[in-house]
Amino acid sequence: MHVLLVEDDPVLADGIARILRGHGMAVDVVHNGDDADRALQAREMSVAVLDIGLPGIDGFEVVRLLRARGSQLPVLLLTARDDVQDRVRGLEMGADDYLVKPFAAPELVARLKALVRRSNPRPVDLQLGGLQLDPFARRATIDGLTIELSAREWAVLEYLMQHASRVVSKQQIIDAILPWGEEVTLNAVEVYISRIRAKIDKAGISIKTIRGFGYMLEQSAL
Amino acid sequence: MSLRGKLLRWLVIPLMVVNLAGATAIYWLAWLPAQSALDQSLADAAWALVPHVQESGNSVELQLSQQAEQVLRVDHFDEIFFVVRDINGKTIAGDLDFPVLRTPDQANTWIAYLSRMRGEDIRAITLRTVVAGEPILIGVAETRVKRLQFKLRILLSLVGLELLLLLLIPVVVWFALNKGLLSLGELQQNLELRKTDDLSEVPLAKAPREVVPFIRAINVLLARVQDSARAKQDFLANAAHQLRTPLAGFKAQLEWLQAHHRDDPDTAQSTALMMVSTERMVRQANQLLALARSEPGDFERNRLERISLDELVSESVQNFVDQATKKTIDIGFDLQPTFVKGDRFLLRDLIDNLVDNAIRYSPEGSVVTVRCTQDDSYGVLTVEDDGPGIPDADKEKIFSRFYRLDQSQQGSGLGLAIVRDIVKDHDAVIGVRSGENGHGTVFTIRFPV
Repeated sequence: MHVLLVEDDPVLADGIARILRGHGMAVDVVHNGDDADRALQAREMSVAVLDIGLPGIDGFEVVRLLRARGSQLPVLLLTARDDVQDRVRGLEMGADDYLVKPFAAPELVARLKALVRRSNPRPVDLQLGGLQLDPFARRATIDGLTIELSAREWAVLEYLMQHASRVVSKQQIIDAILPWGEEVTLNAVEVYISRIRAKIDKAGISIKTIRGFGYMLEQSAL
Repeated sequence: MSLRGKLLRWLVIPLMVVNLAGATAIYWLAWLPAQSALDQSLADAAWALVPHVQESGNSVELQLSQQAEQVLRVDHFDEIFFVVRDINGKTIAGDLDFPVLRTPDQANTWIAYLSRMRGEDIRAITLRTVVAGEPILIGVAETRVKRLQFKLRILLSLVGLELLLLLLIPVVVWFALNKGLLSLGELQQNLELRKTDDLSEVPLAKAPREVVPFIRAINVLLARVQDSARAKQDFLANAAHQLRTPLAGFKAQLEWLQAHHRDDPDTAQSTALMMVSTERMVRQANQLLALARSEPGDFERNRLERISLDELVSESVQNFVDQATKKTIDIGFDLQPTFVKGDRFLLRDLIDNLVDNAIRYSPEGSVVTVRCTQDDSYGVLTVEDDGPGIPDADKEKIFSRFYRLDQSQQGSGLGLAIVRDIVKDHDAVIGVRSGENGHGTVFTIRFPV
């Protein structure tokens, strides 16, 4: 996963770059809009993290130029302002997501992964704790041992793994596992979750219930 | 010193003085004709004597029968005196002790004047005439009883009139002043009755011309206050924004450091503490921004839009869960579809502050629940915790800026003040009560739909 990071504040740029590299991403850092525009034309990237307030051409303009060239590269905007106009304008220009400074690193990482996954239909292996999902083969293993999952259970678990450490609502789960609009009640989701819990309890991960809202898959505390 | 009192004094006193002068004039206007009529009757008496002054040998005598003299001397009120003298002052007839006559300059004219006779004030006239080629002076006088009665009567009527005016003038002036000062009263009411944060212009339309400059001045002042309030808010917002990038940089570096030194307990401890401070700074900056944003004076109602409260809460769930997890607080939700008219950012500030407060001030292991529901005329947001609760005596104070119930907790003291401002911005109503069984706290906000 190759990230272009465009941020004029050297401390922030360095910090983000280290964190992203720590998550196994390749990071190119540039500090102004013109360099960003050149870099985007020169290299193939998986995702761009773009500050709005940049010297030279600003982040909005970089996105506009990028989209004008027909690029589908996912772009996440960073801004110190949280005005509606900024957000609306950013998304209108063709940005895919928006994060207000200061942010938590896991939030940035999660959003970047989500952006890349959306733009890249090729399934990649998902791994958390001892659990490994191979979406291509639709095979789930815990420490190398295959576990049996129904199609629905698989879909729910895959969605939770894609959003590991993130809170997802029951409705989001339903929307994700049933794109064709079959009827599934919120109660049914609870049933799937309890079955999945029983099957992954040895993987060092757990599904936390967020009362009245949904679930969060996370690594169990050591 | 009130304007009313000043005007009253400046109107009533001169009016009284003018009135007094008028009364004096009236007195003389009434008295002078009366006096000249009375003088005329004295002169008529003198004229009546003239035919009786006749030549007798080479001297002049008064030929007056006793009867005629009695007629002459009869008067209801006054004693009548008369004398006939020659030009040298020699008495020809009449009262010998009649005072010395003043002599008119020409013949057949008379003059009137005051004098004294027999110990009394008298009014006298002297008629100068010529009998048989001799200049003759006839004096007629009367005591002043009648005249004083006249004067008294005039005075009494005038005093009555004056007393009436004395009472009427202040009353009339008072009413006139009140009527005239009504527009000032209206201006005062306009300024007094407006809400503390209302800095809109005072309307000029109905104001009288004299008050317009004042209203203009007040409006200029209001505009200046508004400008300065806005400048303050802009400064706050700007400062808060400016802090964000360096804070983000600091935080990112710190997160990396934490991840890298997870296994060294001393460093991990230190970085964890630094993270706590950083989070505080971030929160403080965000609170300053929220404060600037929610300041009712700066708030534009036309920015309100239809907002799904449940979705707005959903967007922050991740943040709430992360916060609650750190404190092992069980956070739960009950989010029914709820629509309110509001400002997205302000409402998020409001929700964040309420939930943050609930988590911050509840001990570990507590339960916090966020609900939103819709009834016919309200969108209702409820945040409930089972923490220590708020004493009844403090339930009002908690909404004041910088008021902190629990000094041992780190907080800005701004959270609920911001909440209150945002509630006000939305014409919503906030209520705070104890939870079930008297434990914990329930904040309820009802938004008009």
